Amino acid sequence: MKSSRMNRMMFVALLVVGFFIMGMPASGLAVNSSFDPSKMSDMSGFDPNTVVQPTGDTFKLGYMQILSGPAAANGELFWPVVNWVAYDLNKRGGILVDGKRKMIQIIKGDTQGKPAATKQEAERLCLEEKVNVLWGTSGSHLAKIISDVSNKYKVPFVNCLSLSDELMDAKNFKRYTFQTVSDTTQWNMAMAYFFKNRPQDKRFSILCQDYLYGHSMANAFKKALAEYRPDAKIVSEDYHGLWLKDFAPFLTKVMAAKPDILYTGDWMPDGDNLLKQARNMGLNVPIANIYITNPEAWKAVGVEGSKNLLICYQFMSGDTPQTPAQKMIMKAWHKQWLKWKEPYNKLIYAWPDFVIGQTLSDTYWLFDVIQRAGTTNPEKIISTWEGDQYGSIQGVRTMRAQDHQALFDMYVGVTTYPTKQVYPGALYSKGYAGVHKVTVIPEKYCTPPIPEGLKNRLMK
Amino acid sequence: MSPITFILVTQGIHGLAYGLLLFLVASGLTMIFGLMDILNLAHAYFFMLAAYFCYAIAGATDFWVALIVAPVATAILGMLVERYLIRRVHAFGHIPQLVLTVGIGMVLVEAVKAFWGTQSLMVQTPKILSGHVPFGPLEYPVYRLFIIAFTILILLAMVQLFSKTRFGTIVRAATTNADMVGALGINVPLIFTLFFGFGTWLAGLAGVVVAPLLSVFPGLADQVGLDAFVVVVVGGLGSLWGAFVAAILIGLLNSYGVQFVPTIAPLITFLLMAVVLSVKPTGLFGKRQ
Repeated sequence: MKSSRMNRMMFVALLVVGFFIMGMPASGLAVNSSFDPSKMSDMSGFDPNTVVQPTGDTFKLGYMQILSGPAAANGELFWPVVNWVAYDLNKRGGILVDGKRKMIQIIKGDTQGKPAATKQEAERLCLEEKVNVLWGTSGSHLAKIISDVSNKYKVPFVNCLSLSDELMDAKNFKRYTFQTVSDTTQWNMAMAYFFKNRPQDKRFSILCQDYLYGHSMANAFKKALAEYRPDAKIVSEDYHGLWLKDFAPFLTKVMAAKPDILYTGDWMPDGDNLLKQARNMGLNVPIANIYITNPEAWKAVGVEGSKNLLICYQFMSGDTPQTPAQKMIMKAWHKQWLKWKEPYNKLIYAWPDFVIGQTLSDTYWLFDVIQRAGTTNPEKIISTWEGDQYGSIQGVRTMRAQDHQALFDMYVGVTTYPTKQVYPGALYSKGYAGVHKVTVIPEKYCTPPIPEGLKNRLMK
Repeated sequence: MSPITFILVTQGIHGLAYGLLLFLVASGLTMIFGLMDILNLAHAYFFMLAAYFCYAIAGATDFWVALIVAPVATAILGMLVERYLIRRVHAFGHIPQLVLTVGIGMVLVEAVKAFWGTQSLMVQTPKILSGHVPFGPLEYPVYRLFIIAFTILILLAMVQLFSKTRFGTIVRAATTNADMVGALGINVPLIFTLFFGFGTWLAGLAGVVVAPLLSVFPGLADQVGLDAFVVVVVGGLGSLWGAFVAAILIGLLNSYGVQFVPTIAPLITFLLMAVVLSVKPTGLFGKRQ
């Protein structure tokens, strides 16, 4: 009697455990790994101005960025990001690869914003410095070059900054490249889907930079808008040269078209100048954008001028962090930022939000994959990352195996004023608007199709 | 006002504002070349440096203090550069000047990066110049009207300075016949230094005026410098009136080009340069050497 009761109890217990395990995918717990904020090191000693790179038998990350020339701001912007992650993991004892604990060493590669220099530096990092992974970069045309080099020398390349759809299409796809940033289609699907719930916005003006990226963004937005908002109308469409000095003629055309929304894909300094000159001219419509996220620009246009920026990105906190991990990172980073000196004491570094938060999250993901792979062998890293599901600082990231494009929820934030304290004593923004309300765009509404030619890649 | 008239008037004022801004940047460059025969390719970099000075001074005090102090600081630096660097190569012709001033420009860029970093910095438009002025159905930004008025004021002041004052007379005489002026007991090298400082001061003024409109970043010199160079070439090297006319022309062509032929608008400036130089190689008001 006793033994049959025990057997029944065992059976019930197994049943409960079984249902629990089966229920895990439904509950969203089917990630392979997650960022664990409780394990983060004490970052009180971190200062990007005084980082000391470890030497010896290290794990080398090649930091491919624009470090000189007119666009050197790009290289400066992400230096604290990669070093923050390296500092954190090094303080934990490094990463366990190839049976050894290795410290992470960041080695710079200056693309100068030029294709020839990019190729030269990527090759130097691969062949002379023997980096284990390449990280970068601003400029899709440069990312393509790095992707080619990484494929040639079999060094994994994480593209966390360049958006062009072409980078991971069937023609340009390279096994050693993983794109953790949204592509142009993904981003514009999310932006267009956001307007699905804003029927009052019917008239859209487009003003983008006159080169491949600007036209790609505009085309992708128009396509996505036609799908999610067939009633919407494009009332004006213009393209301006890079580093435009005078936006006034373009803004006059926009104002004459009387749009409800101005859409732009402009990045710095064009995005900031567009905002300044638009508000100066009295164009106060909401501006749908990706890169007008420099608090210096928001501050320059003041409270009224910085309101109504509709920012779409794959990482967004604003004054209300979405997850405990995000809240912890926001607090830890901001506390350190208060101590940093030039050039890192600028407002753009104040919070690890938008592109800084995204690259921070992606870099943690990269090292999580490497640690799970347990090796510097690129083939094992590739097989670990393909199809991986990771609980990042903000939400689940899936690395689609066929084309190595990461998938995730996107977020749209609207700047309003005033903003709240992110943690006691730390106001998100003072004297200018900031992101408060964040709308989640679920992954299913902004998943780009798998490129033709790659759908059956893994079946070969 | 009909819509087309509204557009024509608005774009015309934009063109005037932008053109006068270009003139402010280019005026110092053309005067230095015209009167001192110095090809100063660092001119745009002094303009950039002044924008950074404006950021620093306006941040600590206000825009109006920056409008006075930043150009003066730029001028002092300009005079030191002329006295201790450019003067050494002046006698050797334009190529050494070109090389030296390009080098000076590079040093200035690296200096601003070292002090202020590479990120874009912003200067707020002063409150009194914010807002709009109604022109009938049109509401035009006050700051752009300020640019127009301020630049015209500076131009008139320059004309008065060089035609009606003793300093202007000495400068014109010294650039025509330095030996004779020196023989009359006038310190010609000092006059040249002061004049170079004046040209740099104009670049400094332009840097301060532009700062509320554009991001202040290390690429600012490249962003604006090319257009200023085109203004100088089209107007005629050394001609202030040529620079004025060329700048207005370029500003208007840019605005109307964006309005009516946007696909070729970026080319219009260079098309103008090509046409002018093919008809008159010395520029609109340039004189044959």
